[in-house]
Amino acid sequence: MTPRLRTAVLRALAVTTLAASSLALLGATIARAETAGPVTDEVGVLKVPKGQPILIGGLMVLTGPDGALGLDASRGAQIAFDDHKNMLVGHAIKYAAEDGGCSVEGGQTGATRLAANKQIVGVIGPACSSEARGGAPILWNVGMTMADTSATAPALTAADRPAGLQGFVRFIYNDLNAAAAAVKYAQSLKVTKVATLHDGSLYAQQIAEAFATQWKAAGGTIVAAEAISPSDTDMRPVLTRIGTSHPEMLFAPIFTSASAYLTRQKPEVADMAKVRLLGTDAVLSPAFLEAAGDAAKGYQLTGIDNDPKFMGAGYPQFLTKYKAKFGEAPIAGYHANGYDAATALMLAVEKVAKTDAQGDTYIGRKAVRDALMATKDLDGLSGKLTCDKYGDCGSSHFAVFEYVSGDPSSYNVGVNPKKMYP
Amino acid sequence: MLRLQDWIRRASWVDWFLLALRLVVIGVVGSGFVAGLLHPRYAQAEWLSFIAFGLTLGAIYALIALGYTMVYGILRMVNFAHGDVFMAGAYAACFSLLGCNRAGLLASHPLVSIGLALIGSVAAGAGIAVLGERIAYRPFRRSRSLAPLISTLGLSFVLEYSARGMFGAQNKSFPSIPLIDGNVVLMGFSMPRTQIVVVLAAVLTMVVLTLVVMRTRIGTAMRAVAEDQDAAILMGINVDRVIVFTFALGGLLAGIAGLLYGLVYKQVYFFMGFFLGVKGFGAAVLGGIGNIPGAMLGGFALGLVESLGPALFLDGLGVDSPYQLRDGIAYTMLVMVLIFRPRGLLGERLSTVRA
Amino acid sequence: MPSDMVEASAPAIDLRIPAQALIGTTLAIVGTCVFVVLVGLFGQFASRALVVDVIDIGHALMLAIALGGGAALTRRIAGPGAVLGGLLAGALAGAALAVLVVATEAANLRWMLVSLTPVTLHAIGYNLPLLQATALLAAGGGIAGALGALLACLPERPRQAFCGMLAGVVFAGLLHELIANLLQDFHSLDDWMFSYDGLLPTGAVLAAALGAVAFLRPGRARFARLPSAARIGVGLACLLALLALPALTNDFVAQVMMLVCLYTLMGMGLNIELGLAGLVDLGFVAFFAVGAYTLALLTATGGVAVAQLNFFVALPFSILAAAIFGFLFGLPVLKVRGDYLAIATLGLGEIIRVLVLSDMLKPLLGGAQGVVNIPKPSLFGLVLGTPTLLFYLTAAMAALAGYCAWRLQHSGLGRRWLAVREDEDVAQALGINLVQVKLSAYTLGAAFAGLAGGIFAGMVGSVFPQSFQLLVSINVLAILVVGGIGSLPGVVIGAAALIGAPEVLRDLGEYRYLIYGLVIIAVVRLKPEGLSPAAIKHREIA
Repeated sequence: MTPRLRTAVLRALAVTTLAASSLALLGATIARAETAGPVTDEVGVLKVPKGQPILIGGLMVLTGPDGALGLDASRGAQIAFDDHKNMLVGHAIKYAAEDGGCSVEGGQTGATRLAANKQIVGVIGPACSSEARGGAPILWNVGMTMADTSATAPALTAADRPAGLQGFVRFIYNDLNAAAAAVKYAQSLKVTKVATLHDGSLYAQQIAEAFATQWKAAGGTIVAAEAISPSDTDMRPVLTRIGTSHPEMLFAPIFTSASAYLTRQKPEVADMAKVRLLGTDAVLSPAFLEAAGDAAKGYQLTGIDNDPKFMGAGYPQFLTKYKAKFGEAPIAGYHANGYDAATALMLAVEKVAKTDAQGDTYIGRKAVRDALMATKDLDGLSGKLTCDKYGDCGSSHFAVFEYVSGDPSSYNVGVNPKKMYP
Repeated sequence: MLRLQDWIRRASWVDWFLLALRLVVIGVVGSGFVAGLLHPRYAQAEWLSFIAFGLTLGAIYALIALGYTMVYGILRMVNFAHGDVFMAGAYAACFSLLGCNRAGLLASHPLVSIGLALIGSVAAGAGIAVLGERIAYRPFRRSRSLAPLISTLGLSFVLEYSARGMFGAQNKSFPSIPLIDGNVVLMGFSMPRTQIVVVLAAVLTMVVLTLVVMRTRIGTAMRAVAEDQDAAILMGINVDRVIVFTFALGGLLAGIAGLLYGLVYKQVYFFMGFFLGVKGFGAAVLGGIGNIPGAMLGGFALGLVESLGPALFLDGLGVDSPYQLRDGIAYTMLVMVLIFRPRGLLGERLSTVRA
Repeated sequence: MPSDMVEASAPAIDLRIPAQALIGTTLAIVGTCVFVVLVGLFGQFASRALVVDVIDIGHALMLAIALGGGAALTRRIAGPGAVLGGLLAGALAGAALAVLVVATEAANLRWMLVSLTPVTLHAIGYNLPLLQATALLAAGGGIAGALGALLACLPERPRQAFCGMLAGVVFAGLLHELIANLLQDFHSLDDWMFSYDGLLPTGAVLAAALGAVAFLRPGRARFARLPSAARIGVGLACLLALLALPALTNDFVAQVMMLVCLYTLMGMGLNIELGLAGLVDLGFVAFFAVGAYTLALLTATGGVAVAQLNFFVALPFSILAAAIFGFLFGLPVLKVRGDYLAIATLGLGEIIRVLVLSDMLKPLLGGAQGVVNIPKPSLFGLVLGTPTLLFYLTAAMAALAGYCAWRLQHSGLGRRWLAVREDEDVAQALGINLVQVKLSAYTLGAAFAGLAGGIFAGMVGSVFPQSFQLLVSINVLAILVVGGIGSLPGVVIGAAALIGAPEVLRDLGEYRYLIYGLVIIAVVRLKPEGLSPAAIKHREIA
């Protein structure tokens, strides 16, 4: 090929690409409002042909040190599907979960994959607030609602939340309440000086801020507000720094890996050895015991109170089913929320789906979201659930737990960790 | 004065920029340091504990850096997979100790258990290093720069994700060893016993290494090959065997580093080797790559900078949460050394002596 | 043949070489299979069917290993002896594996090696009792080994046909979801070839036939004899078909192709720095981050955003910002060379990541909370929201960028880069201004990455510091290595192989980087100049 010919070819290539793109752009229908079959919906309509399964997606962390947080919720959702006989509006349910990696990037990647599959009606999850922040807008962009199982950051259902989060409906408590519970506990211990520590993740940063705001409003002082990164292994310098301000309690709502290092190294820093440490249910799983070993003894954390009088009536039966299906007791604190999110999603779909004469089902996407947001007095496993107008549907009764043993096989919420307060 | 005028005349705008960069960095560090001293936040006990942490971490960096520096001295190649040799050693130590724990040996004979863990980690480290040499180095012995770098990068991924597949993605914790747990009061302030053990063990290892390199025949052969490979062949030295021995020695040191890391931090994770490896290489470069005392010095220096840095300069500058920027300080120091003094603190002694 | 002669005169010596080779091959096969099981690949794949009700991917992998072992044996033993050797080696390996399974179950190593669950161990032997499992594994291994040796001994055409059949079945089995999607409109064919779980045996036969045809490449000689204009025409037609693919199929394909284009853009940038100018840059992700953040700060609504411009107005700014940043990035490290440069750039990239994540710069850059609410690109009122449209945008940008890269490569500056890559000192002696040439490489390379970053920000809608890890730089480097350093088509091929393939082979999931590493080592070892080598040979590799 002569150079001139090659030049010409490459120029033609570029022009062709541009031309093709322009044509595609002009020809593409981008009108949002869609009508298919008997259903008209502003965001889009999902058609499930007769005999095909109906797809429900999942986006949560499934592997790694925090994998138990997502896996537990995912299992709860699976039991919910089983209880519904794995059928929804006449189609078999097919559930496929993506790993969100408890990070924003993981949430984005997983959501992008789910969003590319137009047959998915809604997504259960995620486990971490960072996954939600990254993934929910991508999913809502294609009209998929998210029924959240354990992402608790307040910003996700705040009044001024952006358009991308409008499809996010939460079936777990809001961290504002969790922070309030922590504040109440600290007050009961008669401490006045508290230090906070977050790991840069959305969840930890927001709950630490919420705690600080509420603590100061209650008259206490925040003597130090520090940050680390989730992959940090050496906590001693930052602990020494916190120690110089002489706090009486350290509120560290961080994830498993960093918490384990923190717990192990705290006794080695002179000023911090006597300081109380309070974490959250981000470490309510045997993985934390595995990572921290004997140093986990005495570690206190806030978590959902699983006292039968707060949980739904079906909770004990659910535990039996969980053990039978998965061969072990629940591995974190979010199984009930997973069940409730899945149940609410199925009820919402049932409410708005329309099947035509041929047996094809049509589901309006905005309708699903609206129905989910309108959930009222649902008898869920985690309590009686009613959604407020911003998508907060969780019920919240908190307790403070304490680990009594470092053996991962002795994990049993209520025993190890045992309930301390109230 | 004449030299200054000469420099001004010949300096290009790039040289001016680099000078400005130097001044900015020194200025920032200096002002932070001075401000920190003027408004002291930490008592003497705290500074001493920072130094203790720094020495402990530095000891581990030094052991890893030694592996890099020895291989580079002989082969002029960077081993990206060396950090994963360290990880292998740490896992081997972890499993040895867990096994001893299950057999009850840890409770009854803790020293024997630690000895077994040492053997395990050393074997794993040396073994993986030699394996790596066969797979990722030998084919590229004659080529320059890029190929071995990339090949070791690939090897690094293989090792890391194999470990993930084999051992799981969660943190694995070391069993607690009452013998070395707890704090000890030294010179009026309390320090974890493990730190003392680790630093002493590392120093002992380095002393033994120096003896091996300086006094034994194979050590002399190593130094000969590092200085001039062709002349060494003429002298009758089996270069292949020396290279394998060097890798094994580096792997051995990394294995010990893995055991020590496990004793201090008590957790291992499949990805732990990657960044520790990069920092270990940074320590080797800091001290002067190819130079064994330099690697030791560089390791300790890096550890101290990481531990003291945020407290020493960033605090004075009023930065919030200075510990988030800890890695930034370490990398900045590394980059400054690479730009302004690539031969490091002690120079490339092993490779610059020419006839 | 020499071995025949040796056999006639000294039969005793002849047996040692084959015996060694046999034992070596058996051990290699067993070792590799054990590795596959330990790492968890087998456990992951045993539940996925390659051909429904016939064989699953896990066992297929083991058979492939035995096949490879048999083929490797032919290098040591010649002729029919190799087939026999392959049979023996495979059978021995299979039997050994069955015995190992029993031993492992008794030893209970689960506390160390998480993948040795009873489920997995039993699955190796298809849940059969010991004797039957041993017989089955030995038979399977033996046949595969013999087949491998046979394949290596066959003349070219039958071998191509056979390899094509195997490749066709594997391809169809692994990618069954994708192909089923593509064939959605042809219901009868779809139902005949695939079930919901995978490839049906009937489909396997068809795939094997198609594969054999593809590998035999009939008409290849005739195609080569066509006039060049006709060949270019065919090439263009294929390209157009490829471009139209996302619009014809589903969003998933569009998504994958868009990612491939994005990484191609970045690869072109690194190609300028590394492939042409020889500057090892492991901090490349920093430029990507600068481009993404610039676009985010200029287009987002609320938060730390500085302005609310249109995507296409802000994009040149992000390119410019990245270019300036590349200039400043390259300036300090001008005099650093080789491996040191790799580490220095890695350090600089990490410093940028730490700064972007820090609380110190949170008021400016958003810290860990990132910059959110970036609106999708809109052109004259048309919002590019779907993956298909975004793909066309990215492809258009990539084509433009590719054209620029191609022109640069063949310009005077490009030749100066090549001179600097080959030998800096000689280049300087020839009068090339090193500073200018190197800085231009950094600046232009960064500009490409900045463009990619801007598109990424618009595509995802939010920018978080965790997206800019070192792994991204390493991904781009791997793309270059696999595709061929210094060659533009190589970048596309590398991106398709390393980005497209794992996306499509969804089951790989966590093992993606393991395969990455193996592929990188294999490529650098076996084909150092890459899959699509540059026209000018790169002296530094090989």
